[in-house]
Amino acid sequence: MSDNKGTLEIRNLSKSFIVDNNPLQILNNISLSVSSGAFVTIVGSSGCGKTTLLRIMLGLENHYTGEALIDGKQIIGPGTDRGIVFQDHRLLPWLTVGENVAFGLDKLKQKEKKFLVDEHLKLVGLNGFESAYPYQLSGGMAQRVAIARALANKPEILLLDEPLGALDALTRMYMQQELERLWLLEKITMIMVTHDIDEAIYLSDKVVIMSSRPGVIKKIIDVQLSRPRDRASSDFMRIKAEILQEFHLGTEYPFAYAI
Amino acid sequence: MAKKFLQRLGLKDKLLAIIVPLLVLTAWQGAVSQKLCSELILTPPLTLLKTLLELAQSGDLTLNILASLKRVMIGFLFGGTSGFVVGILMALSPFLNRIFGPLIKALQQVPEFAWMPLIIMFLGIDEFAKYFFVAIGAFYPMVLNTYQGVSGVPEKYHELARVFEYKSFRYLFKVIIPSALPSIITGIRLSLGLSWMFVVGAELFGSDSGVGYLMTWGRSVFQIDLVMAGLILVGVIGFAMNFLLERAEKQFFLWREPVEGRHA
Amino acid sequence: MKKLHISKKTKRILGAIAVPIVFIAFWQLFILAGSPSARFLPSPYKVLQKFVILFSEPTYSHNIAVSLQRVMIGFFIGTLAGFLFGLLMGLSKTAEKIFAPFFHAVRQVPMIGWIPLIIMLFGMNELPRVLIISVAAFYPITLNTFSGVRNVPREYLELASVYGIKGIMLIRKIIIPAALPSITTGISLGLAMSWSVLMVAEIFIQTAFGIGTQIQRGRDRFDIALVLAGIITVGVLGYAMTVLVQKILTAVERGRVISTVK
Repeated sequence: MSDNKGTLEIRNLSKSFIVDNNPLQILNNISLSVSSGAFVTIVGSSGCGKTTLLRIMLGLENHYTGEALIDGKQIIGPGTDRGIVFQDHRLLPWLTVGENVAFGLDKLKQKEKKFLVDEHLKLVGLNGFESAYPYQLSGGMAQRVAIARALANKPEILLLDEPLGALDALTRMYMQQELERLWLLEKITMIMVTHDIDEAIYLSDKVVIMSSRPGVIKKIIDVQLSRPRDRASSDFMRIKAEILQEFHLGTEYPFAYAI
Repeated sequence: MAKKFLQRLGLKDKLLAIIVPLLVLTAWQGAVSQKLCSELILTPPLTLLKTLLELAQSGDLTLNILASLKRVMIGFLFGGTSGFVVGILMALSPFLNRIFGPLIKALQQVPEFAWMPLIIMFLGIDEFAKYFFVAIGAFYPMVLNTYQGVSGVPEKYHELARVFEYKSFRYLFKVIIPSALPSIITGIRLSLGLSWMFVVGAELFGSDSGVGYLMTWGRSVFQIDLVMAGLILVGVIGFAMNFLLERAEKQFFLWREPVEGRHA
Repeated sequence: MKKLHISKKTKRILGAIAVPIVFIAFWQLFILAGSPSARFLPSPYKVLQKFVILFSEPTYSHNIAVSLQRVMIGFFIGTLAGFLFGLLMGLSKTAEKIFAPFFHAVRQVPMIGWIPLIIMLFGMNELPRVLIISVAAFYPITLNTFSGVRNVPREYLELASVYGIKGIMLIRKIIIPAALPSITTGISLGLAMSWSVLMVAEIFIQTAFGIGTQIQRGRDRFDIALVLAGIITVGVLGYAMTVLVQKILTAVERGRVISTVK
């Protein structure tokens, strides 16, 4: 997007759930701003509220205090200006790959629909798979279809909720390269939740570190390495050590976490 | 279940599965022709075959089968469709579920055939009463399975529908019903099976056509071969309906992972 | 102001009975309003009165007793036969190959279809009634016993062979306990089928006593209240029996698990 679309602004956002009649604070005073076309990852241990934060951005969670704005407008419910890739690919098993990609394009004419489906399947490298059913795909392929489905709507922001969490290590690294390629190509804002620190450093301009109970933003680290990034470079390692420090995982054995 | 069983058998077993019934049939035929058992009590298989052929030649067979099938189809369409609609409404609206849920559960406790005398009192035993009775049989399994299917649609699909802004009918027809379809199809199968049973019951009660009528008529003229021929027809037609539905289901569910293939 | 506190359980019970009460109230109103289609329909109050009369007559309790006895005998025979037959087919592949095609073929005939034949063979007496009830229980119990026995985990059988457990001991100690959940499912289904077919038996094979007979008699006399009272009786008794057997089966299963653990 050439103009300044796809910006996100979160101001003093707090949210709590009611558990057994007691309020349980999930997010506490979160403030975050994401500029147009940036790649931002949110990392943190499980239970830090990072997924809840993403769901607020998506519009699936309401009832919070503070503000969440997309391009200056308050988020009210889901909308096609935001795409989502869930951890489970969430393809509908009764639709073919092509029909799944077209799921959000229902209002378009048949011709336009077909064009967009073809374009986006090609984009994720799955042209020729239109008539396959989800059960015939591998985990990585299914997740590519889910990405194509999200991008087919031409969102300004793509939200990714641990999209590669269920994949094996090698497929995962390959998919990280693919995500980077798509991001460079589409030039849209991407916000990803992950618990993989390498993944976060490899992909993002900004790494948002959250800690739990209640979820707060501990630190935001700018990653200013040139792309494509070398996972073994010393700069990469330095940033990784800096992040691990935040999780009190010490500097003595910085590699222990990577194994 | 029966088909799966046959698929599992090897060639030798298939022969065995054919030979054993053949032996039984031969023994049966032999027993009657050797006067070990009266022909009036147990019709031998060959006579039975002859009876069926005669029925087919005279046109009585087609006429009565068509009469029964017509009743099944009409009753099933009414009962099944209303069960489908009520099931969906109950699953989607907690309010309607509160109203219909306990009522249906209470009515379900009553064996269906207990309603028959009541229906006859109100409606007589004409065609309409038969449709109504079949419809009752078709209604219950359809309500229950549709309700279960629709209320069991995973939350993740509801979320997906919200994200892609699917609403009202589009939401119902593109997400909810496809997701509930396996359960709905089970409902259709059970529903059709019960419809068939009920049509035979209604015809036994009083009718001048149909497979059930064939049997009561056979009984009244004390022709046991007619009764047994009717019995075979009832079984074969019930089996055929189930079989066709299963075939249709396979065509319908191309998207499902073939389970049998995975285990083989 | 002090808030009226209603526990969740009370709320649930109130919610469950509210709808039937409203339904009955509407029914009564419908009749009081003198709707023309209500000419034949008795009011709930009349049905209640009918129940009061029925309870004072010995015939009613006798009808119930006869029906219960009938169902129990049929169900017991069907359960026993189904259990043994299912066990046999589950244990022996040969037995399965010989009997299964027959069993599945015969099973295709709906219960109601047998009525004219068994009346011709046995006449209108108690034997065909009990027979058809037991056949109704026989199918689901056979099927579930069979699949339960066939699906005993291989690990248990290997364990048994390691310890040299064979024959009757293997069946008693390993196979039946492992297949028990499936067998109890079959028994519950069988009971429901028996109860349902009881009505078929009593309505189609005329008899002097039974709840089905009572319903039929109501029809003959055009006494709709009597028919409705019969229908309600069948529903309530069927429900009570289902719950009772469910409780017993759960207790049996639990007892079995505990004694095995000990």
